[in-house]
Amino acid sequence: MKTIPSDIGGEPAGPVDTIDHGMRHWERQANAFRSVVQLKKITCTDELRRAAEELGGRYKDMQYFEITTSAVRKVLIEKGMFTEQQLQAKMAEIRARFNVPDEIESPLKTAAKK
Amino acid sequence: MSGTPHDHYASGHDDQAHDHDHDDHKPVNEHDDGPPGEYEIMSRAMQELLEQKGIITAEQVTKRMEQFDEEFPYHGGQVVARAWVDPAFKQRLLADGRAACAEMGAMLEAERLIAVENTPQVHNVIVCTLCSCYPRALLGMPPTWYKSRNYRSRVVFEPRSVLREFGTVLPDNVTVRVHDSNADMRYLVVPMRPAGTEGWSEEKLAGILSRDTLVGVTVPRLPA
Repeated sequence: MKTIPSDIGGEPAGPVDTIDHGMRHWERQANAFRSVVQLKKITCTDELRRAAEELGGRYKDMQYFEITTSAVRKVLIEKGMFTEQQLQAKMAEIRARFNVPDEIESPLKTAAKK
Repeated sequence: MSGTPHDHYASGHDDQAHDHDHDDHKPVNEHDDGPPGEYEIMSRAMQELLEQKGIITAEQVTKRMEQFDEEFPYHGGQVVARAWVDPAFKQRLLADGRAACAEMGAMLEAERLIAVENTPQVHNVIVCTLCSCYPRALLGMPPTWYKSRNYRSRVVFEPRSVLREFGTVLPDNVTVRVHDSNADMRYLVVPMRPAGTEGWSEEKLAGILSRDTLVGVTVPRLPA
């Protein structure tokens, strides 16, 4: 009986695209960050997979590194490494640094530009 | 049975058109176009939060990126090339893969590494049906197809069809064994050494041990 979204071995599926499409830069960062977090023994592979499996129905629509990044986020918050609020604040700060338009209006973006 | 045992799997292989002649240790990484996405920002934010708490450093993450790109992808070929030239090392590799790799400076993340040897009777292929478990310290990051739904779903029940898509045609009398990896247990295929490589250095042998041969979707071939 299938109980988790990642349990796909044995299902019918199409031909394999045998080309390695490599990784985007952010995916390399996300992978290295996840790896360092594991090296520090903050989490482990089983725990991250449990967190990924808890994505449930969202799992199949997400790309690989979106799944792993979501799993790291869930586990680090569970372990009290930071709060959801701290993460949101830091993400807003980084968005501004990248100069990505969002609700924050231009004075802040200009300041962040340096 | 005709033909030399070492060329066994290669029959019907060379005339298969497929594009694995490039160095598959080095994928061409895609560039990031456009503004950063939500997950990119999320991952960076998490890294910076842990840096601020003094738990990790940016240098540690950068170093890890470099290892995944430049160091890990080559360990697997080095280990198997050693096994090809040193029977005692091969025995140690087959008995305890993790310890044998450590002898060569490759530190596995998982508890166990199981090296599975191809023979004229048996061909081995590895997969992780649940996700992407893979001997990363030996092969670098798994290629896109290893993580794909189609490979993970199908290779366990129709491996010959999947191998054919990689240009690998196995004789009917060869048993195909598919090994499903998990977080604690990773696999490495030890291919058969092709005829015509007698006297080759380990370095030269490692050159024909591409990632795909060590996952088992292709077999080593001499350069054309």
